[in-house]
Parts: sequence; C-alpha cells; structure tokens
Amino acid sequence: MEQRVQKYTKVARIFHWVHTAAFILLVITGIFLYVNAGLVAQDSWSRLVHRIAAVIFVLAPLMQLIANTRTATASLKTALTWGKDDLDWVMAMPRYYFLVDEESMPPQDEMNTGQKLWYFILLVFSPIFVITGILMWFFKDILPSGVFQWSIFFHDVAFIVVFLMFLVHVYLGVIHPLMRQHGGSFSAMVDGTVTEDYAKSHHGKWYQRIAKK
Amino acid sequence: MAEKAILFDSTKCTACRGCMVACKQWWGLEGEKTQNFGSYENPPDLTYNTWIKMKFTEIESKRTGGVDWLFTRRSCMHCTDAACVKVCPSGALYHAPLGNVAYNNDLCTGCGYCAEFCPFNVPKLQGGAATVIRKMNKCIMCIDRISNNQEPSCVKTCPTDALVFGARQNLVNTGKERVQELKSTYPNAYLYGEKELGGLHVMYVLTQLPQVHALPTNPEVPVTAIAWKDVLKPAGYALAGLAVIGLGLNYLAARANANAKAESKSKH
Repeated sequence: MEQRVQKYTKVARIFHWVHTAAFILLVITGIFLYVNAGLVAQDSWSRLVHRIAAVIFVLAPLMQLIANTRTATASLKTALTWGKDDLDWVMAMPRYYFLVDEESMPPQDEMNTGQKLWYFILLVFSPIFVITGILMWFFKDILPSGVFQWSIFFHDVAFIVVFLMFLVHVYLGVIHPLMRQHGGSFSAMVDGTVTEDYAKSHHGKWYQRIAKK
Repeated sequence: MAEKAILFDSTKCTACRGCMVACKQWWGLEGEKTQNFGSYENPPDLTYNTWIKMKFTEIESKRTGGVDWLFTRRSCMHCTDAACVKVCPSGALYHAPLGNVAYNNDLCTGCGYCAEFCPFNVPKLQGGAATVIRKMNKCIMCIDRISNNQEPSCVKTCPTDALVFGARQNLVNTGKERVQELKSTYPNAYLYGEKELGGLHVMYVLTQLPQVHALPTNPEVPVTAIAWKDVLKPAGYALAGLAVIGLGLNYLAARANANAKAESKSKH
C-alpha cells in the first residue's frame, strides 16, 4: 500500500467545492450578459440564481477565514510573499510544463508560484466583483448611470481574468500529464491526500518539512 | 423600405395629452396612481406602463415678458445609433425595417442595460432595486400599426397635428421649413433629431435650445457602451481563444514528451 500524506483539511476541501459550485453557477448565469444566448435566460431566472450564488461566493471564503483562521491566514501570507524562489519557478516553467522535464523545477513549497498567483488573482479580483456587483444590485437607482456602466465594464474585466485563470487551474489540476502521475493532484481536493511520491516530486520543500515532524 | 418617422411640432401642441391616452388605450396599459406635485404635468416620468408623456416647462418669455409654457414630448426617440440596441445582451432590442426600435419581449432577461445606457432615459423596467424578475417596456412606435400602413396611435389621435407621421426624409424637410418660419419669432428654433445619434426617428420642432426643453444637447452613445461592447468583449473572446489553444498545445506537447520519457524508461 502506497504511503499518502494529508495536504488539505476537510474544512478547506468543503469550502473549496462550495466556492467552486458558486463560481460555476455565477459563470453560467452571468455569461448570458456576455454571449447572446437567445431565449435561455428569459424571465430573469439567471438574475435570481446569480444573486444567490454571489452571496455564497462571498460568504464561503469569509466563513473559511473564521472557521480555519490559522491555516487561512498562513495561506494568505504565502500568497502575498514573493521572492527569488518564484523567479526560479518562472524560469523553469516552460521546460517543466512543456518538456515534462521534472529535474528542471526546483523543489516547491506547499503552494508553488502558479498556485500563489491564482490565489493572488482571486484576492485582487474578488473585491472588484463584489464592489461592482453591489453597486449594480443595490445602488443603480441612486447613483448616476455612468457608475453602473463602468461597473459592468470592470465586472467583466474581472470575469475575463478570473475565468481564464480558472481554465488554467482546472487544466493543471486534472488534465496536465505531470499532475496525473504519482496518483495525481486531484485527490488532494477529494480525500485531502496525495501520495508520498507526488508530494516529493511536486512539493519537495513542503514534503521535507512535514517529513521531519 | 423607406424609413418612417414622427415629427413633433411643439408650437402646435396644446398639451391635451390625447397622445398619452391613445397610447394607453391601444396597448392596454394600466393607468398610474400618482400624487400632485404642483404641476399639470402627470405622471412624473415614463414607467413600465407609460410609454409617452408630455413634459411641461415654464420659462420667462423674452418675447412677451410673461411666461412661456413649453410642451415637450417624452418617449422613445428611435435613434439610428441606438445605445439600447448596442448593449442589449440577448438581442431583444432591434431596429425594425421602418427604422423604429422595437423589442422581443420573450428575449428580454430584465438586465436593464438598455435603461442605464439610453441617453434619453427612456426604457423602464418593473420595480426598483430589489425586483430581480422583470421585463423592460417602452414605445415601439406602434410597430403593428405602422407595418400595416397606419399611423401610430399617438399621431392618429393628435387633434392639432402637432404629431405627424410619414417618410423620414419628407418630415426632415417639413421640419426644416417650419423652423425657418419660426426663426423670426424664436431665434433658437431648431429641428432636434435631424442629425442627433445618426438621425432620430422622432424629431422635434423646438422653439428654445434643447436643454430648455429638458433634452440633451448632442446626445451620444455612452463611451462605456463602446468600451464594453467593441473593445472588452472582443478582447475577452480573443483571450479565451488563445487560452484554449495555448492549453491544448501544451497538452499535446506535454503528453508527447511524457510518453517519450516513459518509453525510453521501459527500454532500459
């Protein structure tokens, strides 16, 4: 039986999937304002679902912060700390992801630079979603129409950036060949564990640290 | 088909508001319960059920020394460069062959972008901020009547011919002639809608500057509509396309290299 190590707690996984579900609902119900979908969104059902999903999308990370303050703040700190290791990751990235040259990539911590970038982008763009969304939802009758118009614009800027990163996130999480070897990365978000081989090869720095304990 | 238009001559309007009644009657729109706000003008603004109203403006008259009472039609202007049509995400709003701006009620998702981008603040939705399930309503220039060679109901009922309906080009000429006649009495007389927004399909003969009639001078499609629809949206499609192609190429390259590695390993 291969050895497995715990990467994500149950609480973290539950919030991850609640957040994901809310995000996917938001994309589906928001895309009708971007892509002409004809009759699909008639009678405003998408407006209703979008608002319900938006509340979940905002509450889930806030609740996680309360439920799991120590881990969440540690991840926050990691995502906001950038250094030479990240530059090394960027330099190694093309060989690593295209040529599948594992030796080219220096040992990574629990979150590698790509994961930090995804976290960072969510930290920056989620407030843009929330602020412009609140302006359009509650304040359109009070504020000048220019505010609403620019809110649409920046809501969509945030959508484009976050949705593209979401595609990359899903691709690297479950599709890229490197992420499927040694038991793969997906199990980390299912039962919370990865194999020791996976931890060694993908998060060497982190593995060394937890192996000592 | 030659484009049609309505010409409103404010100097001939007596504010009988027959147009407002005829519109409600033809379209079966409910009346409004309103409160007196110190004017004969009523209701205060266009609503979901009020597609046309007459605006009353009192100004000091330089001509008589007394008061001039201006009556201005307030309804959809049926712009050629219609911001509402441009931003409508579901394609519910469209230009009909006669040039008027109509909409398909079934396609309306209630997003309200038309209301927020219209330079004349015409489209109206049911309810306020909290109402999520809603539809838009506005004047569609009696599309059913005009496509059967009848005048719109407001024009049909107008007793003083302050409203006339006809081929747009003819009405531009009529309006210009009328403005020339009025110039001696009203130096600011102006044909509003001849050139505004690529040409409106409801044109006004005005005696005063547009802003005195509570009309925007040089109305424009908001720059935000262009930034969103013509710049950001295509950019989004392009980036999404590039991302999918990029990830696809990465997958093909990575898989080929991974397979090659596995093969060379198994040989040893």
